[in-house]
Amino acid sequence: MLLTALQRLLWMTALVAAQLFVFNHVHLFGYATPLPFIYFLLLFRLGTQRWSILLWGFVCGVLTDIVSLTPGVGAASMTLVAFIQPPLLALLVPEDAIEDLRPGYDTLGFWGYVRYAVVLTFVFCLAYFLILSFSFQRPLDLAISCGASWGLTLLLCLIFEGFHRAHE
Amino acid sequence: MRALLDFLTKYHHWLLLILLEGLSLVLLFQFNHYHNSVWMTTANTVVGHATAWEQEALRYIHLGEVNEALTRRNLILEQNNEVLTRQLQALTHDSTWTERKQAERLRDVQLLPAKVITNSVLHRNNFITIDRGEADGVAPEMGVVCGTGIVGIIFMTSEHYAIVQPLLNSHSRISCRLRGSEYFGYLRWEGGSPLVATLDDIPRHARFRVGDIVETSGFSSVFPSGIFVGKVAAIENSDDGLSYKLHIQLGTDFSSLQDVSVVQQRFQSELRNLEQKADSLSQ
Repeated sequence: MLLTALQRLLWMTALVAAQLFVFNHVHLFGYATPLPFIYFLLLFRLGTQRWSILLWGFVCGVLTDIVSLTPGVGAASMTLVAFIQPPLLALLVPEDAIEDLRPGYDTLGFWGYVRYAVVLTFVFCLAYFLILSFSFQRPLDLAISCGASWGLTLLLCLIFEGFHRAHE
Repeated sequence: MRALLDFLTKYHHWLLLILLEGLSLVLLFQFNHYHNSVWMTTANTVVGHATAWEQEALRYIHLGEVNEALTRRNLILEQNNEVLTRQLQALTHDSTWTERKQAERLRDVQLLPAKVITNSVLHRNNFITIDRGEADGVAPEMGVVCGTGIVGIIFMTSEHYAIVQPLLNSHSRISCRLRGSEYFGYLRWEGGSPLVATLDDIPRHARFRVGDIVETSGFSSVFPSGIFVGKVAAIENSDDGLSYKLHIQLGTDFSSLQDVSVVQQRFQSELRNLEQKADSLSQ
């Protein structure tokens, strides 16, 4: 239990640091900014208490907001994704899956994991950019920013998961 | 209580979600000026609309009371309007319209302005003195009018002054008719109120009503036809019962008379001579 919490803390710290030092400085074509700290929520195992995921997601979002100077934006988006992660994962895992299954290429299959990541990253990016812009004055810009950032975020999450699996 | 605890246990993640999202929104609106301003603007707009709807709904609900109050108010105003209309009619005698029509009627005659020097309304046979005389072309039998109706007929003249026999003289007889009809009679004053005279000899088959206008008939060389005299105030039978006797509310207020005009018709002397010749021949 303690080990799990420590591992989560390390992942969260690493992802927030990566966001602060690397990804916050990426603005591809002036539109796409990757937000791969969402990968933190993709790590949570099947059967994790929902309140626990919600709190971890909220804290991770707040920390990211602090380093990105976007108070409330990341926190709200991460909390929303943390809320839908458990039921989505339960929907995608095979019926004979173990109780504390960790979502990954090996457990969900490559396309199963991609589906899982696609949904969560899309919900996250959509919520994040909608809250950030807080307006529909320029819907095209909003759609491009959201779509491009989502693509980059998804790609990075899939790469992270590849490295994570290889490391394990 | 147990049901509440069960509910909280079952849906705790929903409550936590609401709490955390609420905290996130507090952070969002507290520390982002843009979001804060958008939120405040939107909130103000929404509150404004909601208040407007509430007011509309309340107004609609209270329409019944408003309708009752308006009906009561309407009745009061109608009564006031009736009273004021009567007072206005009594006070003004339709003077503006009268003056305009008077000017139209007198367009073809020459009017000599004059000032009233002496005047009386208290006697049975009143007279008026004006500051125009023979030197100004004034002669007996000329008509005298003012802005609101006829005044009388020149009775005597001197070089610079003239005496007018006004309507308010028992010997005065002026041929008048009801406007819009050809029924005529003679206007005379029987004493009493200086604002009321009588019009005799209106035939019994004539159709008229109270408020109808009385004007000069033009059957003499004194006044042109159509000069406003007054309005029918009351109707009664003549003493012999063969005709109507009308009480006329006069347009001229003799008690405040100051400016008058002498009517000088172009062929008045010629017409008078002809009438006198015809009279002498018939006798």
